[in-house]
Amino acid sequence: MSMLLDWWAAYESTLAFAIVNAFFALSTYAVMATGILSFATVAFAAVGGFLGVQLLAQLGLPLWIVLPGSAVGGCAAALLVSVVFLRLESHWLALASLALILITRILVLNAPALTGGVNGLSVPVEAPFWLLLVLLASVSVGFWRLSVSWYGIAARAVREDPAVAGSLGIAPKTIQLIGFAISGAMGGLGGVLLAMTLQFVSPETYYIPVAFTMIAAVVLGGSYHWTGAIIGALVFTALPQIMQAVVPQVQNVANGLALLLIMIMLPRGLIDPRAWRIRRALRDARR
Amino acid sequence: MQLLLEQVVNGCAIGALYGLFAIGFGLVFATLGILNAAHGTYASFAAIAGYYAVVYLGLPFVPAMVLGVITGAVLAVIVDQIAFQPLRKRGAGMLGALITSIAFWMILDSLAGLATEQQSLSFPAGTYPTWIIMAGSVPLPAMQVIAIVSLVVVTVAIHWLITRSRLGAAMRAVGWNETAAQLGGVNPRLVILATASLAGATSGLAGVLGGISTNNVSFTLGEGMLLKGFAAVVVGGYDDVRGAAVAGVGLGVAEVLSAQYISTSMRDAITYALLLSFLVLRPRGLFGRTSFMRA
Repeated sequence: MSMLLDWWAAYESTLAFAIVNAFFALSTYAVMATGILSFATVAFAAVGGFLGVQLLAQLGLPLWIVLPGSAVGGCAAALLVSVVFLRLESHWLALASLALILITRILVLNAPALTGGVNGLSVPVEAPFWLLLVLLASVSVGFWRLSVSWYGIAARAVREDPAVAGSLGIAPKTIQLIGFAISGAMGGLGGVLLAMTLQFVSPETYYIPVAFTMIAAVVLGGSYHWTGAIIGALVFTALPQIMQAVVPQVQNVANGLALLLIMIMLPRGLIDPRAWRIRRALRDARR
Repeated sequence: MQLLLEQVVNGCAIGALYGLFAIGFGLVFATLGILNAAHGTYASFAAIAGYYAVVYLGLPFVPAMVLGVITGAVLAVIVDQIAFQPLRKRGAGMLGALITSIAFWMILDSLAGLATEQQSLSFPAGTYPTWIIMAGSVPLPAMQVIAIVSLVVVTVAIHWLITRSRLGAAMRAVGWNETAAQLGGVNPRLVILATASLAGATSGLAGVLGGISTNNVSFTLGEGMLLKGFAAVVVGGYDDVRGAAVAGVGLGVAEVLSAQYISTSMRDAITYALLLSFLVLRPRGLFGRTSFMRA
């Protein structure tokens, strides 16, 4: 029992970060599921994060208002951005979303009244671990229901081929707009949860490394099923911790090598529904 | 007036480095369809190789620069063959390659950190040319002249290569559709190797020149170049090297002038404001043409 408690004390913060990263990964997954590679989640997280911190610190609002408020803020930012982004082709959209992160950082740096500028802001409230778990569980139920809904099927069609989906009476841009809205809400929520877990936000909190982490988490876990995002976030958060314990000097080299190997071995990610279907079909055929 | 002219020259010189880097980055993006996060590390390693060649091997400037350029090219080919080739065979698309390039970025960045012992090195004085040409009353230092001339030569050469030569036609064909290019008698493997090494070489050149003129040989060199080069590619359009070159110079000039006349803290803001307005108003870049989508 005491061993279990020791283990918990050592890894509670890692698990908390894994859950926060899972929100970011789900946000990235929400747009990727409609066939868009976008890094814009970081910008939505910044909106949700700074908004949430201001609501908490300046207005002293309770969590049950702040968390939905941040999600709505992220969602509004996403809708605004997607009006411009959805006019761009896929490659350009990816570039534009990276540019959005750079621009967001400049805006954050130059609005010290709202964001604390270079010095950042400290966050007075810490997110309790049970709350993170409950939120992730409820969001998971949402993603599961979505994945088997009309929207989920339409999104899959748009991802495979927007032209064919269009001819089947699905409006690709509308589906992608909804994808962005979900992504924005998840990103905003993740942003404020990250702020509450770190208890500190600065312009560097929402920057390129986070973007790469969340994309890598989604693709590593498997971008064809929503559980892939969560598994990927867990693996991608735990990996650096393990590497730091095993090979402290060349930690980043080892991280990179592990990521490289997994991607080359399993290019479709750890969770791959197509591989399950093929395996099941093979088993049935043998019978 | 004197100050303005001097600052414009400074801006052009810095912008030439951004442009050189952007050409390599855009070439990979247009031909191979890879958003390569590891591209900045080619510049870092080229600068580090040039530094080691000068300091430990005692090579003069030009051979050291050549060695840096070759380092960039070799590194680009190694990364391509290890990180991208296995995915290409499986048809994993842009996403998988992005992730493996992030993996290589992590690896190479931390190796570059080890190679320079986490410090920012600078080329010792006297190991690179320092002559000054006077153009009227405006002094043109050697490294700035070399940077600008390199950009012009490289842009003209690569633009000629892509639009006029057989290799360029093959590169465009592979960029459009690899299978169709193969049916047309192009060996995609060779074209991919040529593109990767060319892109690595131009970025390596930008790295060596940048390492000398900014007195910064470390892994942060590549990171800075990656962001600015990326901005230049977006503004200039990735399917035309002229666009990347012009946009790079434009960004450099805008940066230096806004630091001089507006404020230093607004320098990056202006770069990215330009970026944003181009994305909204002219999403295909300076020389971009409209294209059609499959219905």
